[in-house]
Amino acid sequence: MHKLIPSYKIFIGLLLILMVLLPFVITSSFALEILVRILLFAFIGTSWNLLGGYAKQLSLGHVAFFGLGAYTSTLMEINYGISPWIGMLVGGLVGMSASLPIGWLCFRLKGPYFTISTIATANVLMLIFLKFRDFAWGAEGTTIPNLGHAPLMMQFETKTPYYFIVLGLLIVSLAITAWIERSRIGYYLIALGEDEDAAEASGVDVVKVKRNIYMLSAFLTALAGTFYTQYIYFIDPQTAFSFNVSIEAALVSIVGGIGTLWGPVIGTVLLETSTALLQSYLGNSIGGIQLTVYSLILMAVILIRPTGIVGYFKEIKAKV
Amino acid sequence: MLETVMQAVINGLLIGGIYALVSIGVTLIFGVVKIVNFAQGEFVMIGMYLSYYLSSQFNIDPVVSVLFSMPILFVVGVLIQHYLIRRVLGLNDLPQIFLTFALSLLIINLSLMFFTANYRTIHTWYSDEAFHFWGVYIPYAKLIAFVLAMILSGILWLFLKTTDLGKAMRAASQNRDVAQLMGINPNRVFAVALGIALALAGAAGSLLMSFYPAYPLVGQVFVLMAFVAVVLGTLGNVLGALVASLLMGIAESLGIQFIGADSGLIVVFILLLATLALKPSGLAGGWRK
Amino acid sequence: MTELSQNRRKIIKATGSAFFASGLSAIPLRGYAADPVNIGALYPVTGSMAQIGTGCVAAAKLAVNMINDAGGIKSLGGAKLNLIISDVQSDTTVTRTETDRLITSNKLSAIHGCYASALTLIACEVAERAKVPLITGSSSDMLNKGGRSYTFTPFARASQFAQTQLQMSRLATDKPKVAVIFENTAFGTATSNGVKELAASEGVEIVMFEPYSAGFTDAAPLLNKVKASGANTLFSLSYLNDLILIVRSIRQMGLNIAVNAGSGGFVMPDFYKNVGKLADGLQGVTHWNHDISPESQKCNEEFKKITGEFLFEYGGGLIAQTYMLADALERCASRDPQKVREALSTLDVSSGYAAMAPGGRVKFGPDGKNIYGRPVGVQWQNGDLASIYPKDFAKASVLKS
Repeated sequence: MHKLIPSYKIFIGLLLILMVLLPFVITSSFALEILVRILLFAFIGTSWNLLGGYAKQLSLGHVAFFGLGAYTSTLMEINYGISPWIGMLVGGLVGMSASLPIGWLCFRLKGPYFTISTIATANVLMLIFLKFRDFAWGAEGTTIPNLGHAPLMMQFETKTPYYFIVLGLLIVSLAITAWIERSRIGYYLIALGEDEDAAEASGVDVVKVKRNIYMLSAFLTALAGTFYTQYIYFIDPQTAFSFNVSIEAALVSIVGGIGTLWGPVIGTVLLETSTALLQSYLGNSIGGIQLTVYSLILMAVILIRPTGIVGYFKEIKAKV
Repeated sequence: MLETVMQAVINGLLIGGIYALVSIGVTLIFGVVKIVNFAQGEFVMIGMYLSYYLSSQFNIDPVVSVLFSMPILFVVGVLIQHYLIRRVLGLNDLPQIFLTFALSLLIINLSLMFFTANYRTIHTWYSDEAFHFWGVYIPYAKLIAFVLAMILSGILWLFLKTTDLGKAMRAASQNRDVAQLMGINPNRVFAVALGIALALAGAAGSLLMSFYPAYPLVGQVFVLMAFVAVVLGTLGNVLGALVASLLMGIAESLGIQFIGADSGLIVVFILLLATLALKPSGLAGGWRK
Repeated sequence: MTELSQNRRKIIKATGSAFFASGLSAIPLRGYAADPVNIGALYPVTGSMAQIGTGCVAAAKLAVNMINDAGGIKSLGGAKLNLIISDVQSDTTVTRTETDRLITSNKLSAIHGCYASALTLIACEVAERAKVPLITGSSSDMLNKGGRSYTFTPFARASQFAQTQLQMSRLATDKPKVAVIFENTAFGTATSNGVKELAASEGVEIVMFEPYSAGFTDAAPLLNKVKASGANTLFSLSYLNDLILIVRSIRQMGLNIAVNAGSGGFVMPDFYKNVGKLADGLQGVTHWNHDISPESQKCNEEFKKITGEFLFEYGGGLIAQTYMLADALERCASRDPQKVREALSTLDVSSGYAAMAPGGRVKFGPDGKNIYGRPVGVQWQNGDLASIYPKDFAKASVLKS
């Protein structure tokens, strides 16, 4: 649990200032793009972390909410001209609602059973959106109409506004996580994450807690879907429900430190940076070499420090 | 119409045999070692490339090459258990899942580097021929694969039921602590489980090679079906995985025939989700959570 | 949290940001000392489309070498073309990032790519906003919609493919009863839609029309359905791995059916390598073939020297595209992408390598479409692709199987 000791507050303040100034200092558009990606996946990872890190319900189907959020806002924008800002919130609600039946289904199982079923539900959603082209452009997807500079429609001509939007989202998710960590709900979450049966036995309403945290996690993840679509100007079922998103959400949390506030952020910085560097230096030499290196890094982290980076630092602190 | 249905069932059964070989491996690993091997499909792929190599260099028939791919992959399984899996046992699910996932990514991309993305096929005299009777047909290659898959499954089942090591594996899968108390060495048991599972994957690959093209991503196609079969047939239950695989093959085939050509996957997922909703412990039920 | 770990976190974050920013600026621009003209090429060298992507890159390099060997861009003092390749990993997200990176890290005059329509759509959105012209052989009609002015498509569109496919079905039989199966993502859906809309007007009966999930484990159930529909012709709009299975399964079934498999992986040498004699007689539709003109044949020979295989549809098309870019550069005598775009919009060629298109003429309409663009129907004959339709393009007679 984080106590708000003065040095911690100063650190947060400095970090905030740094992040706000960064886009004005960095000149490379590509670097800014990478930062946006980092912030986005840190946001998705932090949202995932609520369910997967604290409560230890390892979902690999979070992209289901991402995609639902993406399609909701896009449908509203293209069919009814409604601003994606509103669409984003509605998308969040849609994701949240979807987490109820999905949770009901998947929570009937534990551990890897749960994981597999979350993968399956995300996949089913992709198949549905692939099939029904009258309803949502089907397999071909669609591009977002080019409105140039249209802040009210979440479209901008430079990257900086996107940066601030996703930074805002990340700050919100971190704040929520920090608040939960210090609250009673957080206590319940960690308890049920450690040992579900014991938590149940000591009076925690496990079903309700899981359901609520899933709804929150889904809501936040759906917001990311809207943002992403607005950012890449394109949506189709395979992008919106891409398994890679589910994987990355969990991965950054694991590498950075599951069940910790900053874990997903650190994990994202590490993974995205190495990916970007690899892509730059090795991108087009031999097919497959980049991902080979990436997976080796992953395996190394998992084998050497499975509790993640934050976990490593916590251990050091404990020894000190 | 009857012919069409009969053919659909036959088709489903035949491919189900391959699903069985892959899913039995997954379920065995899960039951005994309690981890989900996300890389299982990649070992099928390795089996395929092994057979391709043996066939193109030495003219060895893919079915015969099973005799090579199984032992080689058995050893690979033991090594993986010893050097990789063992280090993440006892931790929670997350590193275990991601370890095998990273392994999967690694193997796919190494294959891409060394084998390139080109498709490889083998043509034998029986590759594209079939039995024709009563208005239906059964391709030779698929029939051989099916028969061998059933034989291998049968052998495994006997092994688990009758040999000491097999019984030890079943004991470890049902209650690890008690098994350990009774003197069973878990690491040895795990190594054998991994070895057998990967050997079966290799066999699946070799058998597939006689009628399916090999390419680095080919494992992904089969592993999805295998995972669903594993859950359907109850995690850890070998017989369950076998039966579920065959059923799924048939369900998929009938789904394509009568619902829609792209509904094969949806039917299978619905089967999965229905099972989860109604009987989460799978067909064989009663599995301790 | 102690100050120690707080600082560590801060350092990690700052290091991360600084690390790649400096790493990027350290990347040397490949090229010659004399000012080259930078052309970006975006192709899937890894991932599910790696096979074709690799071939595209080989063709792209060949094209640039051919142009440079002939003296480069003369109006720019013999400036050489500098090809900057980027791997889009067969992934939409990566395409977005890579297109952006390519454009912002290099001063590009133009881009070509990405083979798959879904990827090209994203790339052209990015290129449009960055005001860099993008030329592509991707067939989706959506590329010409949306009011873009920086996207150029010199070759036939998906809707045109469909029409040719329907017309070709009458080559094999008088009363075609067609079963259409197509992979359920962008490529298959786009092309099949055209087939459905035009069938009636071409006098072709469609007895089955079904999407299927690409990358299936077994083609048998699908073909079982085809057989049950009573079709005598099969249109299979599929990627290569599925096609291999489909063709082999047809043989296993002993099904007597004419097959037209559109384009894509079907018209690559790899298809023949995998199915052998089973390929002969199968028909397809392509936007480019290596026997449509003497220039195409020349490119084919050069390509064969490098890779050992005949020059496939997309690869040949992109060689032509590179020449079109060279033509535009010659006329506008500038490296400025906006000037290149203008020169492309006024392009009108009917001879030489830039006109290597079925019909032999390229001129772009306001939506980036080549108003003379037409597909060419092909057939596998003895391990090679021969153009057989329409009559005026035909270089070989139709093999009846």
